[in-house]
Amino acid sequence: MFVSIENLNFSYPNTKVPALDNFSLQIKKGEVISILGRSGSGKSTVLRLLAGLEKPANGKVVIQDQVLFDDRTFVQPEKRGIGMVFQDYALFPHLTVADNILFGLFRMKRAAKRIRLQEVLELVELQGYEKRYPHQLSGGQQQRVAIARALAPNPHLLLLDEPFSNLDAELQEKIRKELRDILKKANITSIFVTHDEKDAHILADRIVKIKNGRTDFIGRPCDLLDVYRQEKQNIPAVSEEKELSYT
Amino acid sequence: MQRKLANVNIWTVSAMAIIAALFLPNITIVTGLFIPSNENWEHMKEFVLWSFVKNSLILVVATAGATIFIGLSLAWLIAQYQFPFRRFFKWALILPLSIPPFIGAYTYHGIFNYTGVIQNTLRDRFGMELDPVYFDIMNLPGAVFIYTVFLYPYVYTITQVFLSQQSASLIESTRLLGKGPWRTFFQVVLPISRISIIAGASLVILEVLNDYGVVKYYGIQTFTTAIFQSWFGLGDIETSIKLAASLMGFVILILLIEKILRGRRQYSYSSTKVRPLPLIPLTGWKAFAAAAYCLSILAVGFFIPVAQLIDWTILTFGTIPLEEFMSYIRNSVFVAGFSAATIIVFALIVGNFARLVQGRLAKLLPKLTVLGYSIPGAVIAVAVVTAFVALDEFLAPLYRMAGMNTTLVLSVSIILLITAYIIRFFAIGYSSIETGYDKIGTDFQDASRLLGAGLTRTFFKVDMPMMKGAIISGFILVFVDVLKEIPLTLILRPFNFDTLSTKAFQYASDEKIMEASQSSLLIIGISALAIVIFYKFLEKEMD
Repeated sequence: MFVSIENLNFSYPNTKVPALDNFSLQIKKGEVISILGRSGSGKSTVLRLLAGLEKPANGKVVIQDQVLFDDRTFVQPEKRGIGMVFQDYALFPHLTVADNILFGLFRMKRAAKRIRLQEVLELVELQGYEKRYPHQLSGGQQQRVAIARALAPNPHLLLLDEPFSNLDAELQEKIRKELRDILKKANITSIFVTHDEKDAHILADRIVKIKNGRTDFIGRPCDLLDVYRQEKQNIPAVSEEKELSYT
Repeated sequence: MQRKLANVNIWTVSAMAIIAALFLPNITIVTGLFIPSNENWEHMKEFVLWSFVKNSLILVVATAGATIFIGLSLAWLIAQYQFPFRRFFKWALILPLSIPPFIGAYTYHGIFNYTGVIQNTLRDRFGMELDPVYFDIMNLPGAVFIYTVFLYPYVYTITQVFLSQQSASLIESTRLLGKGPWRTFFQVVLPISRISIIAGASLVILEVLNDYGVVKYYGIQTFTTAIFQSWFGLGDIETSIKLAASLMGFVILILLIEKILRGRRQYSYSSTKVRPLPLIPLTGWKAFAAAAYCLSILAVGFFIPVAQLIDWTILTFGTIPLEEFMSYIRNSVFVAGFSAATIIVFALIVGNFARLVQGRLAKLLPKLTVLGYSIPGAVIAVAVVTAFVALDEFLAPLYRMAGMNTTLVLSVSIILLITAYIIRFFAIGYSSIETGYDKIGTDFQDASRLLGAGLTRTFFKVDMPMMKGAIISGFILVFVDVLKEIPLTLILRPFNFDTLSTKAFQYASDEKIMEASQSSLLIIGISALAIVIFYKFLEKEMD
């Protein structure tokens, strides 16, 4: 497996309930995974643990045969080769679009940097915007810069935290398709977290549903629909369905 | 915790070292409580200590009361009513803060004394020869007057900002319930602004306890003057340490009272946007009275003393050799700039540590350093000298090896003074930096690390440039405070090292009031400029 997550446990300081309880997941190269859950379910915690921004209590994380975390190992976030698109993008406000994207390329030669910059700008279709500052861009453009910045250093794995939550409804539809194209074109293994089932259905190869820090369901989007159908037949699971569709 | 600590490495080490260095000298004071008492201390305790305590208490209580009255009434007027020149008064009313109380003290003495402008005018124009006793301000009420007119802005600014942020509905509903303005004031405004009033008043109290210039000049015996007296007059540092320890106990008591009074409501912000208070227009004599009230406070606290100083400067211009004057400016700028820069660098390191580390105890450590600002200059002076003399003793073999035939090196150098400044004013720079860190949060840092930048690279490439505002404002605030500082500078400076403030104080003490005006004006000018810049900057940030 390209990414292998085994039995991760984690609780935030000063809380009793674990944020993540024995979480395991195997991901193939190039796969797009969606982690679905309501707020507080622990879905964003998975991303923070993979990125190395928090330390799990125990468990194991391996990406491309490199152990990032186990009993003896903890690889610092800057050494993990993982890209992340933050919920509010976290674009450096004091840097231009170009400098934001180049931020992660500081070890590259100058010529290589320039080529890579143009490559990712082309990928997200933002050529000509190099000199702008983040506040001069629209929400959708900011997001694309954030994606370009995360992809520029060629990470093994791309993490996206609620990529659509900061966009208005109209834009969401359009961006969803764009994002799918970008991810497919870049052919990158990615995990994105969302509370909106529509996102998951359109974008994901596989869906992981998390509830109270535990895995509730793993499977293809169409399998999830089967589960609902069954639930509907068995019990009047109206509340359950409401919980899942937040549109 | 484990991961985070492994993470901070070099940052942890330097932050810990800074915290220890800033805090340890104060420990030497605490040890003073356990030194067996000697004759001087017994004598003081029996005959004079009580009068020091009494004077200090009177000054503190009376000044606190008066500053609350003036500060709150001004804040209420500005926050609630529309009247002529309100926008000007809103920021101008902070200006008295730019005049160090000791400068105000000698200026007002100059205005009121026998040859001063008031008595002269009465004599020459009106032929009135009044008993000079009426004009004597070199006493307790005089000192309270000086403190009040120059320190009320602490209460005014904090309360005004607080009141302006209050939701309009709260006060409007009181109105609709049929309460007049006076009842609104006493039943709603006063109770809700309690926290900010206490915060402002405790700053005033700490300033009063710290003050040495005013009481020394007016010849009032307080805790602070007693510390220096036993130190220099009696040459008895042990008694000074004992006095300093008692004073520190008193300060800690005040801080505790403040904590208790504030209760758990330390954060009065709510994240939702509040509708700002719509201003009530005043008309006719009421508008006139409001403007006149603001103007008279501003005149007494700023325009009159500044006008007097300008007058004296014109009269004495050229009597102080320019060369000499320039050297005071150079010295002032050097110590203020160097201390401010060091404090900001230290604050950046400690602040970064504070936000990276987890765990309650570790979070508490940086807070210790903030204590320095509450500790009066006299106490810090005693602490730093004690620590440096001990350090010199420790290093004495090294000095001998270097071929020096003295044992006192560090304790007579400028490093002593700068260390004292850093301990005293660290909190000012730190709070600015801490706010900066809070504002940028950790998202940008996380983003930077995931892009392959380590902590140190992140600090220089992301944190620092994003905190430019906090760094600049922290620097300005510390710079101005060092510029105005008097007891530490006076006592700890190396031989023949004069700054603008020490020179102003010395001229005034030698009854050369007019000669003191030039340095004083320069200090006031720089401080006022900093206040205006700072205020405009803050206002822009708030929009």
